[in-house]
Amino acid sequence: MNLKDPDSMNKVIGMVLRYGVLISASVIVLGVVILALSGNYSDVASLLTYNPNIPHGNFDVSFAGIIKGLAAFNPLSIIEVGVILLIATPVSRVLISVLLFDAEGDRQYVLITGVVLTLLLFSMLVTPYIPGFHA
Amino acid sequence: MFILEFLLILFLVSIFAGVFGSIVGLGGGIVIVPVLTLFLGVDIHFAIGASIVAIIGTSSGAASTYVKDKVTNLRVGMFLELASTSGAIMGAALAAYANSAILELIFGGILLITLVPTLMKVGEDIPKSPELKGLSKRLALKGSYPEKDGSVIEYNTTRPVAGLAGTWAAGILSGLLGIGGGAFKVLSMDLAMKLPMKVSTTTSNFMIGVTAAASAGIYFERGDVNPIIVAPVAIGILIGAAIGARLLLRSRNPTVRVIFVIVLAITAVEMVLSSLGIAV
Repeated sequence: MNLKDPDSMNKVIGMVLRYGVLISASVIVLGVVILALSGNYSDVASLLTYNPNIPHGNFDVSFAGIIKGLAAFNPLSIIEVGVILLIATPVSRVLISVLLFDAEGDRQYVLITGVVLTLLLFSMLVTPYIPGFHA
Repeated sequence: MFILEFLLILFLVSIFAGVFGSIVGLGGGIVIVPVLTLFLGVDIHFAIGASIVAIIGTSSGAASTYVKDKVTNLRVGMFLELASTSGAIMGAALAAYANSAILELIFGGILLITLVPTLMKVGEDIPKSPELKGLSKRLALKGSYPEKDGSVIEYNTTRPVAGLAGTWAAGILSGLLGIGGGAFKVLSMDLAMKLPMKVSTTTSNFMIGVTAAASAGIYFERGDVNPIIVAPVAIGILIGAAIGARLLLRSRNPTVRVIFVIVLAITAVEMVLSSLGIAV
């Protein structure tokens, strides 16, 4: 694909979004199918009750918890991985935009999308651990 | 309630939310949150966690079509994302100190006021294109999009700073409450920057995924993204967004505006009532 072609930006960004959505949806469906086959619905119902006393909610969504769950083939951990991939889709779209504007030689928009990417990653990954934020 | 019934209802509601969310550019959270809390008895924390995922799903699912078909204005979207992401961080920082009920009342009140100019534009097909000058010219904030009859509509934009300010408000709202930013994004592009309606809603749709992702980390970390609730929401919303995107491409600007005005009115009333402690 010729990245200097003005249409290539629409094509590439459209593709990143489409594949991001398809991959994350497939992983979530896989988790749901495994869950349905396990037939273990009573435990599932208990997860719907919000419990503020457990650090990570009723289901462990910490990275360590998800990796442990994946190792045990836990369908809920598989669903969470699908959700993480879905959340990562707009992030990768911003990242790819920086590269595409760079390929176009558009320095103004490399700067704009670069700042957006920095703010986005800061907000997602850093602010949850700054005391006083999101209180 | 039986768990399978619960999941099925949530799945169907999410399809509906995805269809409308992708057409008006607001993302479907305004449907998901009240259905989860009021009809399905789910805690607000889980509802907002699901809403964040619903917004990202609608945004990415519909944008893949809108971007490929060149309705979304990528440059306008990325320029305004400067304001929405920094606003989201500001909103998260404010959360500890601000009275969120009062802020919600203010934002809801502003939305109610914007109903007037938005209603006055009902019937408008293509806005009179302003002269491209200043910052808009420097940043090439113009574009063109194909209509369904095959014609290509060229347009310019104006008042980029007012657009940034409105989008910044959208970001603060998202960072503070997790919901409600999309309306301010569409209004910034429609009322301030004078983009054609379909370009405004699809560019808002493009941006809301990034704003929601900016707030996603904290909800994930807190355990509010519940896999059982989010799975049917994500799948349903993606199906709905695919349908909604096709419907929008076949619709005319005045139709999209009428749907937007109705959803805007509901959102504004919902926010004002919720700030007054009345559950909707």
